[in-house]
Amino acid sequence: MDISVLTFGQIADITGGGSLTISNINDTDELMRQLNVLFPPMQSLRYSIAVNQKIIRENTTLKKADTVALLPPFSGG
Amino acid sequence: MKEKKKRTVFIDGPVTPAFIADAIQQHSIKTDIGAHSIFLGQVRSDIINKQEVVAIEYSAYREMAEDKFHEIREDAFRDFSLTCMHLYHSLGSVKSGEISLFVFVSAPHRQDAIKACELLVERIKKEVPVWGKEIFANNHYQWKKNT
Repeated sequence: MDISVLTFGQIADITGGGSLTISNINDTDELMRQLNVLFPPMQSLRYSIAVNQKIIRENTTLKKADTVALLPPFSGG
Repeated sequence: MKEKKKRTVFIDGPVTPAFIADAIQQHSIKTDIGAHSIFLGQVRSDIINKQEVVAIEYSAYREMAEDKFHEIREDAFRDFSLTCMHLYHSLGSVKSGEISLFVFVSAPHRQDAIKACELLVERIKKEVPVWGKEIFANNHYQWKKNT
């Protein structure tokens, strides 16, 4: 399954833009493994994953219509 | 009456002193207010590796950020006795010395206004998906880390 992923901050710098599509994944653990292969600098980054705008705390099954976002530590204000 | 509708939080560029003055002026007709508490976040000109920060460029996961601002706002109305609340955060470039965060809480009494304002600022910094890119004089940059 292809999942489109939104990226922000430092992660958008690494992946080269605000969004990307990751193929052949079914859950967020697989997503992270793919990201580490495609973008090795991601291995050493701390980030959260939001699925449909909610930050997930454990491996989460993904559906095609889900909105997935990779969120580096927030630094607003 | 409590204001609870969703409102736009993000402003393009800095929050200007005139905007802040106008926001205060607009409350003169709300005569049940006895206290305003205002927090203004200003872009600090840090020196990092001998390079001076001249601006911060803010970006956000806008849909999630708007929802989170809404949730934080609702929680504050639930937990404190407030008359009204206005939250503004910059997007895009804000130069050092300019304002990027404006939290404005009004209540009948000072304790509620002061406590709510402090809690709002802390939650905004911790929970809202906004990122600051610190731009140096030589055009290099680094991603800001909140302390």
